[in-house]
Amino acid sequence: MNIFLYELKAYSKNTIVWTIALIMLVFLLLSLFPSFAKEAVSVQKLLKGYPEAVRKALGISISNISSFLGFYSFVFVYVVLCGAIQAMNLGIGILSKETRAKAADFLFTKPAARSKVMTAKLLASLSLIIITNTIYLMAATLIASMVSEKSFDAKIFGMISLTLFFIQLMFMALGVVIAVLISNIKSVIPISLGTVFGFFMISMFGSVVEDDAMRYMTPFKYFDTAYIIKHSAYESSFMMVALLFISVALLISYGIYSRKDKHTV
Amino acid sequence: MNVIEINNLTKSYGKTRGIVNVNFNVEEGEIFGFIGPNGAGKSTTIRTLLALIRPTGGSAKIFGKDCIKYAPEIAKEIGYLPSEVFYYENMKVMDILRYSASFYKKDCSKRIQELTDVMELDVTKKVDDLSFGNKKKVGIVAALLHEPRLIILDEPTSGLDPLMQQKFFELLFEENKKGAAILFSSHILTEVQKMCSRVAIIKDGSIVKVENINTLRENNYKRFNIEVRSLPYKNYFNFGGIDNLRSEGNKISFLYRGDINLILRKLSEAQLSNIWIEEPSLDEIFMRYYERED
Repeated sequence: MNIFLYELKAYSKNTIVWTIALIMLVFLLLSLFPSFAKEAVSVQKLLKGYPEAVRKALGISISNISSFLGFYSFVFVYVVLCGAIQAMNLGIGILSKETRAKAADFLFTKPAARSKVMTAKLLASLSLIIITNTIYLMAATLIASMVSEKSFDAKIFGMISLTLFFIQLMFMALGVVIAVLISNIKSVIPISLGTVFGFFMISMFGSVVEDDAMRYMTPFKYFDTAYIIKHSAYESSFMMVALLFISVALLISYGIYSRKDKHTV
Repeated sequence: MNVIEINNLTKSYGKTRGIVNVNFNVEEGEIFGFIGPNGAGKSTTIRTLLALIRPTGGSAKIFGKDCIKYAPEIAKEIGYLPSEVFYYENMKVMDILRYSASFYKKDCSKRIQELTDVMELDVTKKVDDLSFGNKKKVGIVAALLHEPRLIILDEPTSGLDPLMQQKFFELLFEENKKGAAILFSSHILTEVQKMCSRVAIIKDGSIVKVENINTLRENNYKRFNIEVRSLPYKNYFNFGGIDNLRSEGNKISFLYRGDINLILRKLSEAQLSNIWIEEPSLDEIFMRYYERED
């Protein structure tokens, strides 16, 4: 419990900053919607001028973009990108903290089993991500009701927003496993930015070639907003794979973390 | 009863040597020295005892329990001071100490107060801003605040000024009087000599000898320094029991181990102008152990 509280406190400022960043981002992007909606016809004409590949890569669907949820799905991609970086930073950071601060001797000679240390750290990360998502969802709903003149389906809006949480969990788990596998992480940001942008590029590429198998390769493609809007549901096969990925990543991490030698620095 | 029992403990790191078949015991209430040059395997042994690293062979028991399997349970009663003390960034000394104390299920606030007073530690400062010596003091307080039954110290005096060292040694003697056993690793012999009753000597990853401090000295080595007028013949002192023979002009010095009458008879046949017979320093004794296999 003490480790959990300590980590929660240690990352509170970081989480607040990221949450504010996410909200600012969605506010900025959604505030463009009223002018988009007003000029719907000319905007659609403009977008048709874009090469199809570019439109696909950016996730622009001409028929949807003038509806509020269509527009939200378009801008939400960038919210998710930002959230993925936060989650990955958190996953790598919280588990490589002792190595980076050379504080392994401090923590791992205390009466706490390595597996319990890991559980405390994971629960702290999970709580921080839940807090981020709760605040984000409340703020985003508020902003949405301000910019959208017509009413929109709040359930679908919530379901789309909730995918931020799932994708963050996947990147957090990926961060955790990376932190456990690489023994001498000096700096977190280069690894998390590199990985997240790598997956983002794959996702853009995947949109262009429209290959279904490729969707499995990047968390950014697991939740197709068009599918959610149409069916009010998530694609179960992707949910299963996401769940499987997170479980396997954490299982591997537990295994390594509890046996790994902590060398002097 | 033994607080620490080490049985053929081995740790190899692929090609580089770690430790090989280390054996020694630390008894209850004992201050046990663990001495060897840098890189001999002291820290590796200690880190294995603390389950920071896993042995590749052999085992060790602390309080009668396997040190890896029961590590979290054993850790409740262990206070450990690493040779280099590091803490999380952006924390005040008091935050570190409170966090450290929160792992032990007892109220340590009074003890923290006492220890920080003795060590003259400013608890409102940020740990990052502390000097090496002051970080060490934080480490000392963190190691002792839960009144452990076994204190493990890895090169504990580096960075402490002599006055602080003295206070620290007094603290340790107090804890020892209250019943705590101490494993004291060092490459400085005088401090081991000051603190410990028994000592294990480690060299190149293996224990060379476990010995009483007194026996070590009583091993009958004497340091002879003489000034001679003349010797009966050349290489007069080349015989069994003589070690470390050095001559410079009319000054000759050597270590002698063996029948004391024999050497005295030998000396009486030479023409001496002066003689000093001394107890050799522990350093000299240890050098013998280190050099023997070379």
